[in-house]
Amino acid sequence: MHKYRTAIFVAGALVVAMALDWALPVLVTDGSVRQLVMLAACNVVVALSLNVINGMAGQFSIGHAGFVSLGAYTSAVLSGNMHKWLGGGDATLARSFIVVPACLLASAAVAALFGFIVGLPSLRLKGDYLAIVTLGFAEIVRLVIGTAQVGSGGETIGQAMSSGGALHALSVAVSKLGGQNGYMGPDGQGLPLYAGPFWVLSVTTLACVAAWRLKFSGWGRALRALREDEIAAAAVGVDPTRYKVTSFVIAAIGGGVAGGLIAQMRDGSYLVNPETFNFQASFDAITMVIIGGSGSVSGAIIGGIFVTVTVKAIEQLQNTSVAQLIRGPHMLGTFELTVDLNALRMIIYSVVLIALMIRRPEGMLGERELGQKRPGPRPKSEPAVT
Amino acid sequence: MSALVLSGVSKSFGGLRAVGGVSFEVPEKSIFGLIGPNGAGKTTVFNLITGVYKHDAGSIRFGDHDLLPLQPAQIAAVGIGRTFQNIRLFGQLTVLENLLVACELQKKAHLGSALFRTRAHYDDDAAMHTQARQLLDVFEMSEMRDEASTSLSYGNQRRLEIARAMMLRPKLLLLDEPAAGMNYGEAEGLKKQIRWLRDTFALSVVLVEHNMQVVMGVCETIHVLDHGETIAHGAPEAVRADRKVIAAYLGEEEPEAGPGAA
Repeated sequence: MHKYRTAIFVAGALVVAMALDWALPVLVTDGSVRQLVMLAACNVVVALSLNVINGMAGQFSIGHAGFVSLGAYTSAVLSGNMHKWLGGGDATLARSFIVVPACLLASAAVAALFGFIVGLPSLRLKGDYLAIVTLGFAEIVRLVIGTAQVGSGGETIGQAMSSGGALHALSVAVSKLGGQNGYMGPDGQGLPLYAGPFWVLSVTTLACVAAWRLKFSGWGRALRALREDEIAAAAVGVDPTRYKVTSFVIAAIGGGVAGGLIAQMRDGSYLVNPETFNFQASFDAITMVIIGGSGSVSGAIIGGIFVTVTVKAIEQLQNTSVAQLIRGPHMLGTFELTVDLNALRMIIYSVVLIALMIRRPEGMLGERELGQKRPGPRPKSEPAVT
Repeated sequence: MSALVLSGVSKSFGGLRAVGGVSFEVPEKSIFGLIGPNGAGKTTVFNLITGVYKHDAGSIRFGDHDLLPLQPAQIAAVGIGRTFQNIRLFGQLTVLENLLVACELQKKAHLGSALFRTRAHYDDDAAMHTQARQLLDVFEMSEMRDEASTSLSYGNQRRLEIARAMMLRPKLLLLDEPAAGMNYGEAEGLKKQIRWLRDTFALSVVLVEHNMQVVMGVCETIHVLDHGETIAHGAPEAVRADRKVIAAYLGEEEPEAGPGAA
């Protein structure tokens, strides 16, 4: 019975996602709104994965954008080349069944490798010190990609390999990522956008289910126990090394998959740019987790959507009369007060976060899930069913 | 046959010799007391046994295992459970969850089966819950199983810590000042509980305790430390009468000791 229920649920979800793939452009004619919906879904994956480190494991990573960036670039390079190999043309849904899974798997693998490497120092470092390591990692990723020199004599990676060895080949490969201008596929024609609503929504749903199951498993419980007291957790057999590194790898995989989706998102951008994954992006991810409630899966979902929508709403605000009023000619004559939208966003976040810290220091949901009660004093009578 | 054998165990922190050449054997299924004035090194010995610190010299053997190369989690896995002097519970987790964490070792299912919710995952889960429920019944804590562990009373937190250690199905249980803060009646109850645990689960208990009512009442052998070194060892009556022990606890009369000398 249980098996059938799962199968029916999966089949139903797939049908809904497939229907949305077709229906979303019809229902939502505004491309920028579609982009917002898809981006919100991707950001939910970002928030869910960061929640594993910052919420469940109680570590503090401020460099999650690094994993997202690695995933995005991996996916962009692979999809660009696969698209070329498949003969160019339109990014059709049929082809996406080859391209998207392959790219997401590659993104996950690359991110997992780096998650493992970044996770290792987490064994010896805590709090601020670990945060600096994660920040350093994200900045290294951004700067290496951004500053790699473009046009190293038109050398191919194969030639570089034979002339200067693996390290030289690697630097040539990185320099082909477009540096500061962003990567637009192997021929600079723009990235193929294979991931339609079907892929974005089903992968996001999958991520939600996975996050939920991880949290409510022995593994998630052990991770939370480790966060509460490492020495006591070790004393009951929870190996801090294994659990911490695994949590980093899992979070990195989630970030990588999210990046992989963002790079190929239909209605998204035709290029990936290192600046998309700067400290601001890492900070946004932290905001998503904190607003929703550290450790809460549903909180991360809410936070991911909230932050994405806020960003968009502020962008929209730019063209409204409010912004015009602020911007318009003032008494000082020609003086124009320009509003830095990013600054406005930071102000709104700050106000929301401060309000939250006063009213609900542990975020909207704390560690609970939607509809779940806080563990409190024992009930007056024993519930009938245990 | 001895469950735990310490021979010549030493540990220094910088220039401070916290434990110097301590040797003792804990017989199987016995209740063993480790006492001494504050700062004698009792808790350090516990931390050396459980791998929180590594000893500089000597050896600690548990059954066939040399404990020196093992990590704390592995030491828990070979069957040593412990409690802490300052209670260390998983505060945000419920009472039941606190116990379930200690089951991670016994799980056969791995992370993948938790993700895909395989049969093994459900089997493990059911087995863990059964074991935890039984222990909660034994410790009479069933009604509070969904409370956050921080909301428990002090005495209950101490009991929960023992219950959590028992989830490991240990062969050796290390209790670090379980009677701290207990009144006479509670301490009497604790004595009964310790004996009951030993008899029911056939394990050895090592007890670090200041409460002499408990130590003298329940321990079969007592080992006394002072300044990290052994000053006495033997049955409770013998230890109680030992001059060095009395001196360590009450101080010696020293004619040259000036006013204010402790």
